[in-house]
Amino acid sequence: MHNDSPFWCVQGIIYGFLGPNGAGKSTLIQILTTLMLPTEGHVHVAGYDVVHHPNQVRSNIGVALQDTGVDPMLTGRELLQIQGRLFNLSRPEAKSRATSLLSQFGLEEAADKRIRTYSGGMRRRLDLALALVHQPPILFLDEPTTGLAPVNRTALWKLLQAVQKQTGVTVFLTTQYLEEADALCDNIGIIHQGQMIAEDSPQTLKRRLERDVIELEPAHTSDLNPLLQRIGSTYEAAQDRNVIRVFTPHGASAIGQVLADVSAIGVELAGLKVAPPTIDMCFLS
Amino acid sequence: MSVSMPSLEREQIRAHFWRDLMVLTNRSIQVTLRVPWAIIPNLAISLFFLFVYQGGLSGIAKMPGFSGTHYLNFILPVAVVSGAVGGAGSAGQALIRDLDNRYFTKLRITPVSRTALVLAPMIAGMLQLVVQTALIPVVALLMGLKTPTGAAGLLVIILLAAGWGLAFAGYAVATALRSGNGQAAQAATFIFFPLLFLSDTFVPLNLIGAKWMRIAAHINPTTYVFDAMRSVLVRGWQGRPLLWGALAIVILCAVTLSFAVYTATKTLRRS
Repeated sequence: MHNDSPFWCVQGIIYGFLGPNGAGKSTLIQILTTLMLPTEGHVHVAGYDVVHHPNQVRSNIGVALQDTGVDPMLTGRELLQIQGRLFNLSRPEAKSRATSLLSQFGLEEAADKRIRTYSGGMRRRLDLALALVHQPPILFLDEPTTGLAPVNRTALWKLLQAVQKQTGVTVFLTTQYLEEADALCDNIGIIHQGQMIAEDSPQTLKRRLERDVIELEPAHTSDLNPLLQRIGSTYEAAQDRNVIRVFTPHGASAIGQVLADVSAIGVELAGLKVAPPTIDMCFLS
Repeated sequence: MSVSMPSLEREQIRAHFWRDLMVLTNRSIQVTLRVPWAIIPNLAISLFFLFVYQGGLSGIAKMPGFSGTHYLNFILPVAVVSGAVGGAGSAGQALIRDLDNRYFTKLRITPVSRTALVLAPMIAGMLQLVVQTALIPVVALLMGLKTPTGAAGLLVIILLAAGWGLAFAGYAVATALRSGNGQAAQAATFIFFPLLFLSDTFVPLNLIGAKWMRIAAHINPTTYVFDAMRSVLVRGWQGRPLLWGALAIVILCAVTLSFAVYTATKTLRRS
């Protein structure tokens, strides 16, 4: 990442890091979690230099990477206890912490079964529990819900929000799901080609666009081109599959004129929506 | 790039090497015990060597160069050493499994001692090979093995095998870390074959016909380990061959463990 200005993550929030593939999100996570050395500059996490004091950094962070790093031959309880011991917990402490986490993450029933029998969602929850064994003040999550079914994804969001609220842990996550960042994060940083191009709350990022989006879906796809030409002569408009998006500073005021244009060229609409911009649109802009 | 986060007061956790080593070694043993069948192929190969060589070659023990030695006593070290090396290879395989399922990455993000991270699978592999190699003399006893040094002699053989296995465990772990690939790590263990067979494996040194092979056998450290084992199995307690055998093991351990530590340092330095 080529950005000389430092960025700060406020304590006790969920910070989302978004960017297209190849933007450097995973590399940044690897550097912040001491898995990779930075090629230049200085990186501090929890006040410790990741190059010179990696063990202090490791003691202060919990990490769940894209690929769940679990040993399938052990049980969930055993793995949590081992993790606890490696983070300096005594045997009784590790045992008690494992029991408490298994309960918190809904894994009591599977606690003594080998991890190879766990579903993808269970493995994710266990991975998250492993990251929290030592009650770290900072939690790094690299695309925590990638590959999960939508229902599991939503469940994990709720779990993550509950854990964050309960523990006050600072969460730093990367995601390719923009709706995830929108739903979870207090602050979002957007990286593109190695540069931080925007950083703010999801609401402010959306407000920055200062416009609404009117989505028009013609009943016949043959009407897409004429509709785009007609609307595009007055407003900023773009086609996305079978929908024409019209960008306007105030959707409610513009909708009358837009519908008049639609009617003037005799296009029948199958769908119409006026909505505030999504994070996707922040990206696209 | 510069990234800063709020400074949080938290007591620094020191690396507790012995605790880490114990926790990780226990875990490796636990995993090994859950796949007990994994040791069967290696044990079967060693016993196969013992049965086939004893059955097919025992007649050559009547040659003068053997000085009346029973061939079972002569060939037993070959089965033991091959078993030890195979068991040591499992240390590399265990590490490869951890690399493949990303558990190794998870361990790297903990403040665990890096040395313990590498030593644990080696120690677990060594313990596994001790169990395996202990079974081979038991089978040999059932086949009629008689030794001048008794149970103590067999214990020495197991200890020598354990040392030899540790050296190979170091090599297996280093190649696993270096390649990060199970097949490459497995392929690297083929170095064992020249070491096993370019030696006085089947006949004493003075009966090896080709001069180049005699030279190779003199250079090969395996020869000295075989000699040490055969001395207790055939001749009784003799200091010199045991010393040379122990020295060969120490030197090989020093080389392979240094290689393992160097590779680990390089690989884990985030390298």
